[in-house]
Order: sequence, then structure tokens, then C-alpha cells
Amino acid sequence: MLLLQLLANGIVTGSALGIVAVSFALIYSTTRVFHVAHAGVFTLGGYLAWSLVRAGVPDLLALAGAMAGCVVLGAAIQRFLYAPLERRGAAQLVVLIASLGTLAVIQNLLAAVYSPDILQFPSAWAGHVFGLGGLRLTGAQLATVGVDFAAFGWVMWFAHGTLLGKRIRAVAANPFLAEITRLEPRRVHVLVMAIASALVCLPGVLGPLDYGLQPYGGVTPLLTATIAMIAGGIGSLAGAFFLAIAIVVLQNLSLLVMPGEWSIGVTFAIFIVFMLFRPRGLFASG
Amino acid sequence: MDYLYSYLILSEIYVLLGLSTNLLVGVVGIFSVSQAAVFGVGAYIVGDFLLSGTLSFLPAVAVAAVACIALNVLITLPSLRVAGDYFVVTSFGIQLLATATFTNWTWGTGGANGMPGVPPPDLFGMQISSTRGILAVSTVAAALGCLAFWLILRAPFGRLLKAIREDELAVAAAGKGVLRAKVSAAALAGAFAGVAGGVYATYLSFIDPTSFDLDASILLLTMVVVGGARTLWGSVLGPFLLLALPQLLTLIAIPTTYAATMQQLVYGALLIAFALFRPQGLLGERL
Repeated sequence: MLLLQLLANGIVTGSALGIVAVSFALIYSTTRVFHVAHAGVFTLGGYLAWSLVRAGVPDLLALAGAMAGCVVLGAAIQRFLYAPLERRGAAQLVVLIASLGTLAVIQNLLAAVYSPDILQFPSAWAGHVFGLGGLRLTGAQLATVGVDFAAFGWVMWFAHGTLLGKRIRAVAANPFLAEITRLEPRRVHVLVMAIASALVCLPGVLGPLDYGLQPYGGVTPLLTATIAMIAGGIGSLAGAFFLAIAIVVLQNLSLLVMPGEWSIGVTFAIFIVFMLFRPRGLFASG
Repeated sequence: MDYLYSYLILSEIYVLLGLSTNLLVGVVGIFSVSQAAVFGVGAYIVGDFLLSGTLSFLPAVAVAAVACIALNVLITLPSLRVAGDYFVVTSFGIQLLATATFTNWTWGTGGANGMPGVPPPDLFGMQISSTRGILAVSTVAAALGCLAFWLILRAPFGRLLKAIREDELAVAAAGKGVLRAKVSAAALAGAFAGVAGGVYATYLSFIDPTSFDLDASILLLTMVVVGGARTLWGSVLGPFLLLALPQLLTLIAIPTTYAATMQQLVYGALLIAFALFRPQGLLGERL
């Protein structure tokens, strides 16, 4: 029974990290920026929703408001940071440094405004425990699974079934050709950052409903998500999503044999194994 | 006066760390947020040996340096084989794993409570307990580090490293060992971090995981970016400037609970500003 519960918890948290991984992969495959500050956007979403809920806004509207805030932040980072750096032909290293700086600024602004301590959401339904044939899941966990799988379905439809999605994939596949065929890669980059920031806001709000908000809490999820993206194969959104679930399930199962403090070690060991035996990932395209 | 000494000692320790980070980030050209982890390994090794009394200061520092060389090469090797961006993951992973180890491996590190009572350094049977004496030790260590860095950048090996930065393919085509050069630079960076860790542990006599976490790595990166990459003077200026920052912040009366947050906020803002407007730092070359 414990095994089944750990498995269920793994799928819940895994689907959340899956959306982090998918949104990160969307950015990375299109703009080629290793967007470390994505962890900051993820964290900001949770805090915005917390503030709105505290101000008396209904939960769903609070989520929408938080997503809008993340969209603005993501688009601004692309427009005012990454785009100017790209225009100047900055080395990848410099872009990474700028991204890390952005992450530090967001995290510490949140810590300064909200205090560095863990904050809990006041929403009562999130903590309500539902029994499902022996499994015990909270409202927040059920919402996480439902919303994140739905979001993944939406992304797959968007990327493969809409004109805008095809345009994004065209820019990702060949920026130069996209430029001369007037697909306007720069505008697409801003759009991708906006969409990915809205996406990452979902797990950013739903996760903390369960275990609380912490200003520095975005780095470990992002690390797991990037490992999932690499293990899944860069360019494969489905690979990123399902590898994230697989990694978190393994992490949860490892709790049977070792204490939770070392779960970062498990994640990292998975990464090392992939680096050694399959550095291009499971479902790499092209 | 003691305050000035403490500022000088810490700055000199961070000069060694700045040189270490500069070798990796500036010279070899890989993004690293795990140098504080290597620094921590050096500090804990020296702390453990001195506390148990098995080795005296110099041999303990030598062991720490060798361990950090091995560790740094091990960390850097994958980045030299796979694409640059993957190393970001390795680097974050190593740093988080190190913090988890420092915090949870109570037997070797004292865990989150830290390791108190590390004895002061001793040289040739003499204990150096005065702040002035330790200042002398840290000055010698930093001066040796600077000398080594300066000599290396002037030597043919340094020119090889510079050439790799300019055009790696051309260097490989000219028959030079690119991988070997990069590994050597990483090894040297490890040695610097190990020695810095030893001096740090013996000077403060108390170490805990917060000195070696992700924030500490970000501080090291900020020192190199602000001071300037790939030059000796950049790595000297960066630590002296950034360690003065907490003092400036006390002047504008921020509540102490927010001091660390404010410092990290400023480091982040500095990273963004320098990346955008002055990627070569104050006294460095273009990154």
C-alpha cells in the first residue's frame, strides 16, 4: 500500500514537474537560451496567487491573475534582457550569467517582500483529503494531476495542431530560414516566453497549495525538469513530460530505501547515467 | 583594527576563490555555480584533520588541495565532452548535492549545526592564533596563488588557453591537446579552492553549510564578473569590492534579518547589469 501511495504521489508531483519541463523545453528549443530564471517565474506565480487569494479573490481568478503576471515577467525578460544580448552577439556564457542574475533578483525580491519563511495557502479545499480505494490524496494533489495533464494535452495540440504552434516549431527548427521567410523569429521568441511562463505558473501555484511557498523553492524543481528535458531528448515535448514523471516516481520510490534528504542525489544519479549511456536522450528528434 | 584585519583575511581567501572561478569561467569558458561546493570540501577536510589531530595544518591543506583537484576535474570533465549547456545542469546538481551532503552527513561535517572548534593553523609546530599571524598566512597563500596565476597566463600554456577561447577548433587542428589544457586549468582551479577552504576553516574556527551553498557560488561568480574575467587584477579587485558591500549596506540601516537577502539581491542586479553593459568587468577581458 505504501508502494502504491508513493507511486501516486510520484505521478502527482511528476506531472507538475512535467509541465515545468515542457515549458522549459519550449523555450530552450526555440530561443536556445538556458533560461535559469524560469525557476524565478515559477516561484513568482505562487506568490502572486497567494497575495490575490489573501486579498479575497476567488481561487480560480487568482490563478488567472498569477498567470497574467508570469506572462508579463517572461515576455519582459525576453524583450529587455535576452533580445538585447542576442543583438549584441553576447556569448552563451554571458546570457547564462544574466539569467542567473535575474533568478537571484526575483528570489530575493520575493524574500524581501514576503519574508524567507514558508507561507501556506489559506484555501481549505486544498488540504481536504480524499480516499480513493486505499490511496489518500489531497484536493491540491488531485487538482495538480488534473490541471497538469490537461495542460500537457493542450500544449501537444497547440504545438502540432495550430498555425502558431507550427510557426514556433519552424523557428525552433531553423531560425535562419524562419527569418528569411518572414516568420519573425524575434516576435515568436517573445510569444514563446509568454506562453511558457503562463504554463509554468500552473505547477507554480498548484504545488505550493499542497506544501507551501518558499522564495528559494524553484531551483530544485527546475533542475529536475531540465534533467527530464535532456533525458527525454531535446526537441521532444512528450519526452520531457513523461521523463519528468518517471524521474519523480523513482525519487519517491527511493524513499523506501533511503531518507528524503538524499532525493537530489537520486535525480542527479539518473542524469549521470543518461550522460554516460545516452547523452542525446531517449526521444531526441533529428 | 581587528575589523580591518578580518576584512583583509576574508578578501584574500576570496581572491584565491576568485582566481579559481576565473580559471573555470573566464579562462576555460564554462559556466560554473559549484565552486563554493569545492571550497566547502576543502574546508571540511582541513577541519576534520585538525579536529581529530591526525595531521597538522600544511599536510592537511595539501590533502585538501589534492582532493579538490580530483573533485574539480571530475566535475569539469563531462562539460568538456558534452555541449556547454549540459554543464549548467551538472554544475547546479553538484552544488545542490554538496549542500545536501554538508547538511545531512552529520558524522563528517557536523550537519546543519556546523563544525565548531577548528584549531588555528600551525606552522612547523607553532600555533598561529593571533589575527595578525593568520593575516600573514592568508597573505602568503593569496600571493602565491596570484603569482601562479600570473606565471601561467604568461607561459606558453596560458597562451594555449587563450587560443582555445578564441578558436577551439583551430587549436585542435594545430595538433594541441585541447582537452588536456582544459583539464589542467580545472585542476589548478581545484587546488586554489582547496587551499582557500583550509585557510577559511582555520581562520573562522567554525564552518557550516551556509558558507558553501548556491548563494556562495553566485557570490563567487559575481566577483569574477564584476572584477573582470581572465585577468589577475580582475580576480583581486572583485573580492575586495564585493566584501565591502555588506558594510555599505549597514550604512543605509537595513534590518539585519534582511541583510543577506539584500546582498544577494545586489549580486543578482550586478550580474544582470554587467552582462548587459560591461561583460568584460572592471579590469578584465571580454567574456
